[in-house]
Amino acid sequence: MSDRTDPTPVQLADWETRFTSVTWTLLPNPPLAPRAQNAMDEVLLEEMAAGRRGPHIRFWNWQSKAVIIGRFQSVRNEVNEEAATAAGITISRRMTGGGAMLVEPEGSITYTIAAPESLVAGMSFAESYQFFDSWVLGALRELGVDAWYVPLNDITSTGGKVGGAAQARKHGIALHHTTCAYSMAPGILTSILRIGKEKLSDKGVTSADKRVGPLRQQTDLDRDVIINHMIEYFRSRYGLQSDNFRAEEMNRLDQLVAEKYNTPAWVYALP
Amino acid sequence: MHGEYKTPGGKLVVVDFDVVDGRFKNIVISGDFFLYPEEELSALTNALEGVDIELDDESFTERIRMDLHPETELMGTSPEGIVIAVRRALAGGEV
Repeated sequence: MSDRTDPTPVQLADWETRFTSVTWTLLPNPPLAPRAQNAMDEVLLEEMAAGRRGPHIRFWNWQSKAVIIGRFQSVRNEVNEEAATAAGITISRRMTGGGAMLVEPEGSITYTIAAPESLVAGMSFAESYQFFDSWVLGALRELGVDAWYVPLNDITSTGGKVGGAAQARKHGIALHHTTCAYSMAPGILTSILRIGKEKLSDKGVTSADKRVGPLRQQTDLDRDVIINHMIEYFRSRYGLQSDNFRAEEMNRLDQLVAEKYNTPAWVYALP
Repeated sequence: MHGEYKTPGGKLVVVDFDVVDGRFKNIVISGDFFLYPEEELSALTNALEGVDIELDDESFTERIRMDLHPETELMGTSPEGIVIAVRRALAGGEV
């Protein structure tokens, strides 16, 4: 494809230097309620800004199905709310821009990688997206998925679109999260998300789920096997120490869910 | 009124508003674009609030541009893209 943007050897060497310049922590991945997952990003960003947390990676697990909408998306324009409610799907607004995604407990592989903005100093936004996901593309390639970046924030492959990323930049911290499709119940995407003609106007396709290439379909591997491979790929190159959430972080999480992520004022900030 | 525009290779921007006495009212701008800092959404939204709908595209674009802080990063759409969505809404089109 003409829009394929593989990094150059010079870029790869620069990225490796950057990745190895800091100490990385792997945080646990307990299943959380969807709005708590979104709040956790903000908790950890606050903790980093306060100097109590360093660069980290965490994978997300879900207690229930959800539509996660971007910071600037309108609920009404993106979600068929009646169908979502009937299917037990929570609507949750995240702190980053970008598009809506439908997640099921075993249906996606989502992670956050966060570091001081100095780690991506001198990079364009577009390059920083590729940088933060480069280890995942490397791990996927080892599993036989030929994946690459389509700027700004899409990951695609010879087998179809794999995922998308979004970043927050706040208080000197870059927080980057990415969702890769693992498996998809046919039709669910189009019944819950409103995907208008205008959104597909430059894609050359007419339906949203036809262009997705879920990782189970592409690798035949269990979700945990893929996640562990991603973690080990990172650990072997850049180092990764495991740590737990602290009691203060879990308390702040409860507070932020109650005061922000669970409130109509936030979820329907753009009705 | 409702208008949408997807920048080719970029993101969707959606504009909803009312027209009262020939002026934009209750403008809501949404979409899957990126905006840093996020607080600048109100600058985007306020830029055309109360503005005469008979002005030309250049005037609309300029007002949006002027309202954004110079350090703001708007990615995936642009003042021009927002004005296309506004124009489509005014024309009453479905998209």
